[in-house]
Amino acid sequence: MERKRCKEVVGMALEEKIIEEIIQKAPYVEGNVRRAKRIDLKVPADRIKEFLELIKKEGFNMLIQISIVDWIKEKEFEAIYQMWSVDKKVHAFVRTRIPRDDAKLPSMRDIFPVAETYEREAHEFFGIIFEGNPRLGPFILEPREYEKHPFRKDFNMLGYVKAVYGEDFDRYDENKTNYVI
Amino acid sequence: MENNEIKYELKEFKLFEPLFKWARKKSLWIVAFCTGCGGIEMPPLATARYDFERFGIMPNPAPRMADLFLITGYVTPKTLKRIIITYEMMQDPKYVLIHGSCPINGGVYWDSYNVVKQLDKYIPVDVAIAGCMPRPESVMEGILTIIRKIEEGTADGWKRYKENYEYYRKNQDELFGEGWREKDAKRWLAWL
Repeated sequence: MERKRCKEVVGMALEEKIIEEIIQKAPYVEGNVRRAKRIDLKVPADRIKEFLELIKKEGFNMLIQISIVDWIKEKEFEAIYQMWSVDKKVHAFVRTRIPRDDAKLPSMRDIFPVAETYEREAHEFFGIIFEGNPRLGPFILEPREYEKHPFRKDFNMLGYVKAVYGEDFDRYDENKTNYVI
Repeated sequence: MENNEIKYELKEFKLFEPLFKWARKKSLWIVAFCTGCGGIEMPPLATARYDFERFGIMPNPAPRMADLFLITGYVTPKTLKRIIITYEMMQDPKYVLIHGSCPINGGVYWDSYNVVKQLDKYIPVDVAIAGCMPRPESVMEGILTIIRKIEEGTADGWKRYKENYEYYRKNQDELFGEGWREKDAKRWLAWL
């Protein structure tokens, strides 16, 4: 009872209605309400482009960010397209998973022009190839770091730091066996 | 032997050297080149409460007219290229004051792939202020220290840079790769 009233007060009904409408048009999507004004949508990677086209027509017309999560045990990258609906004031996380080796996604550049920059950044830090984006390549980092994709979980950070900046600043414990921070 | 020695002042001007030192310590102009988070600590120093202009310090956009180089936070390799070029563009005598823990030993970025751990290896440093972030009081203390060192003649980073140029150049080349000046710096400074 309390939860129901809480839902009404916060206004979760709007989010559930949005998810229902989206699932009607795109039955391959799993959706749930995370909290007020925030929804999660899981999309298979091969249909991500048509889904973003659809969701743009639904009113989510602003791409805020493309963030990548490296799930190293599952050998997958999770790409999260964060969409904002200006009219409804709802934030949607569109999640999709791709295999870690040979990571490829279609470029969203022709739907959202701003995606070009986000894709360049994701490409530089994680090594995901966005097919159709002509400007992939060294962007923010030095070329030496670009080759290694430093945000991947299997990037050997301390080894790289020691090789590049010298070994003077190791932080060992007293026995010089373990790293301490 | 005498030809190899680097001369810093004319013999005829030896008499006026105390006057020059007094003038230098009273007119430190700083390059308006802020890296990292310490740049935001400059406005309290420049405004009414601490007011560094009473020491003759003035922020200046041109490296050719500046005496003091404040490095106000972490330095990435990309910034370090600009710092080295700016430092070399400054006229002698020039002084470097580093600000915060990060240029000293990496600070909180000690294991970051993209932060220079020890700035001392790439350009000479006269005064280092530890802290994250140092309060304006400690920055004032650092500035007073550099004024005192100029008076004593021990702020000799620019002399060390000339004398040990091979050492600094070797470290810079190790970090950026040989020929970085020709490749990168030429794009910003056509006359190099």
